[in-house]
Amino acid sequence: MRDAIELEWAGIPTVALIHKAMSGSANSMKRLSGVPDYPYAVLDYPHVPLAKWDPVEVREIARKLAPQIIERLTKPAGG
Amino acid sequence: MTLHAPRHQFQDYDDFLEQAYAKGWTDGMPVVPPTPDKVQRFLDYLGMPPGELLGHVPTREVTVTAEHVAVNAVMAGCRAEYMPVVVAAVRGFLEEKSHIHSTSGSLMGPAHLLIVNGPIRTELEINCKLGVFGPGFRANATIGRAVRLVIRNVMRGIPGFLDRATYSTPSRYSYCIGENEEDSPWKPLHVERGFLPQDSTVTVFAVSETTIAGDDASRTPEGILDSLVMYTRRGGVTGDKWLGDNVNVIMVMGMEHMRYFAEAGWSKQQMRDYMYPKLKEPIRPGEMPIRLGKPEGILIVAAGGHGMADTHILHPHLAWAITKPVEPRRR
Repeated sequence: MRDAIELEWAGIPTVALIHKAMSGSANSMKRLSGVPDYPYAVLDYPHVPLAKWDPVEVREIARKLAPQIIERLTKPAGG
Repeated sequence: MTLHAPRHQFQDYDDFLEQAYAKGWTDGMPVVPPTPDKVQRFLDYLGMPPGELLGHVPTREVTVTAEHVAVNAVMAGCRAEYMPVVVAAVRGFLEEKSHIHSTSGSLMGPAHLLIVNGPIRTELEINCKLGVFGPGFRANATIGRAVRLVIRNVMRGIPGFLDRATYSTPSRYSYCIGENEEDSPWKPLHVERGFLPQDSTVTVFAVSETTIAGDDASRTPEGILDSLVMYTRRGGVTGDKWLGDNVNVIMVMGMEHMRYFAEAGWSKQQMRDYMYPKLKEPIRPGEMPIRLGKPEGILIVAAGGHGMADTHILHPHLAWAITKPVEPRRR
């Protein structure tokens, strides 16, 4: 999370991909970094947070995350 | 030298303790009130100003000062005389390759081990023999606890906040041992790492898990080391490109195994040289990768009592073992 925030500070549009199980620490890092509203893309179950995903699941995850990533990268700042 | 911490008023000890729990200042156990005079006494023992910087955790926007450490050492139940060891350990965990942001936030919930070497061990009565990992020894219990309270209260390693350990471990209450230099046939850990025997040091290490390598059948150094290799390969030694070749695994060997090496005159280096190529053989089913980059990554520590023919293998989290000197008091 912090890496994404620091890249944004450096002027590089960034999207953090966070599993729902890790959203607590992601939110904590946002608060600590002074950007509590900074958005990120969320991956949810049934995809488990730490696993060896097979190629079929990886493609499924990509299909789910791609719209969130595109939205975050193209949405106007503050929009 | 003015203290910087905010002041709070309490009616009595019970009121303080309930507020300490309510404000999240404790690890779940009672704490000692860090009164200004006591915190000042701990700093005076060191001869350090309250604002002296010990290090920082950039990702958390945290700086750690001598006063932070003194407050938490008082709360942990330390004596002022323990402060040099606590400060050295905190400095160790704030080294970049100690990777405290990861080790105190990780899902794996590694524990933060301190290994004390040198004369300060005996001066402070830090246990290194029977029951070395367990309760009952004030210096071990409170020095390790003080470091954990600093990680919690200063570095924000609070469960549910930045500490995301899925299960965590009771070793996170306190995890401090000494090396049994007196009964050991070997060079102490700190001497192997470049210090003099008369120096006092603390080696800090993030332990992801412990394997108890029991072998009461072997009667030779080679037999025991073969067992240690087998157990180490099962648990693995993690690492990555950033940590490079300097990752460590620690083997804490007690009296029953150690005596075979003493009788046969084996040095720690001979033990490492015997184990390393066997550890680096290709991985087999049921084994984990061994990311050690060189034999010296295996750290052997003499500690524990008589009885069980075991060696405790401490597998790393993503960090190096870091050794810091215990600095003398500034008069």
